[in-house]
Amino acid sequence: MARTTRNPVVAAALALTVVAAAFAGWGGWSWYGAAQDDSLAFAQKRDEALAAGRQAVQNMNTLDHRDLKGGLDTWEDSATGDLHRQLVDGRREFERQIQEAKTVTSAKVLSAAVTELDDRAGRASVMVALRITVTAPKGEPARKESRMLGELTRTPQGWKLSALGQAPVGNTAAE
Amino acid sequence: MGAVMSTGEHVTTAVPGPGHRPARHSEPPAGPSAGARPAGHRRWRAPAVAALVLALLTGGSLFLLKAGQLTGAPSADNRALTDTEATARVTGDVSNALTSVFSYTPGDTGATREAARQLLAGKAARQYAELFGQVEKRAAEQKLTLTTHVVRAGVTRLNGSSAQLLVFLDQVSQRQGGAPATAPAQLSVTAELGDGHWRIVDITSR
Repeated sequence: MARTTRNPVVAAALALTVVAAAFAGWGGWSWYGAAQDDSLAFAQKRDEALAAGRQAVQNMNTLDHRDLKGGLDTWEDSATGDLHRQLVDGRREFERQIQEAKTVTSAKVLSAAVTELDDRAGRASVMVALRITVTAPKGEPARKESRMLGELTRTPQGWKLSALGQAPVGNTAAE
Repeated sequence: MGAVMSTGEHVTTAVPGPGHRPARHSEPPAGPSAGARPAGHRRWRAPAVAALVLALLTGGSLFLLKAGQLTGAPSADNRALTDTEATARVTGDVSNALTSVFSYTPGDTGATREAARQLLAGKAARQYAELFGQVEKRAAEQKLTLTTHVVRAGVTRLNGSSAQLLVFLDQVSQRQGGAPATAPAQLSVTAELGDGHWRIVDITSR
């Protein structure tokens, strides 16, 4: 022991090792703390649900009569549960309507928020403000602002819409 | 182990006696060879210590990087929904503010103006003040009543004393004796916390 303190190189090496070990310990502790932080994990889940919700709502408001199959497949891919069933059941009728109308519909999400998130149950509610543009064979493209409320359910393939509708207008006094 | 060694020593020193000692004492001048064993250790020790230090530094850096990715992610400093109490608070305050500020009766626009003075600040207050003169005139002339209901409000961003919300509202306007007409509206609202209350500082129609 006396010899090590007398040798400055050994003392320096020892000190360096101690400092490095402390640094590693600090790093490990920070990482552990961050990894165990529930609110960080929850925030990440919230943003995943939001991103999935935005994309799914946009998908469900996008359809080109020239690529009905692709468009409607995307709809079904974006949905699960009751909504998926409705889409599958109504597909043929809907195809016929769009083929007749020959419309091209596109949507842009203006803003969106997750209003509820139950991570354990795998359910989330989103509200989405979007602008929908419908182009018919004749006339100018029609634009309208739309507000939608969606329910998301987590599936093995990620969050999907299990319900989607317009936010009701005019009967909100009970709110 | 000490016992075995010591008996060995005793045997060797006992027999050759003094003759042996000088031999040992003469060794220190050949010091390097005496120090050969520690030197051999040292040759290994330096790289070993360097490797250890390097490994610890690398490990520590990786941990910190990982921690930074978790805590520094854009999602991390947005407390919307993760802080349920603050989320409910800002949602409630902003919803109440919008309801008060966008509701009036022809006879009592003063109350609305007063509410706006308390609940709006910054750009939102300036824009509101510019508009409200006309609103008051119209409300009086046309005997117009406006009632605003919040349909749904969600927090898109919340950190510390600043928040952004998306609000769906219905505005019911009614002239005296006429039928009410409902208009939907979608607003992006920025709010700031001061003195324990959220005030709206910006309103953008979506």
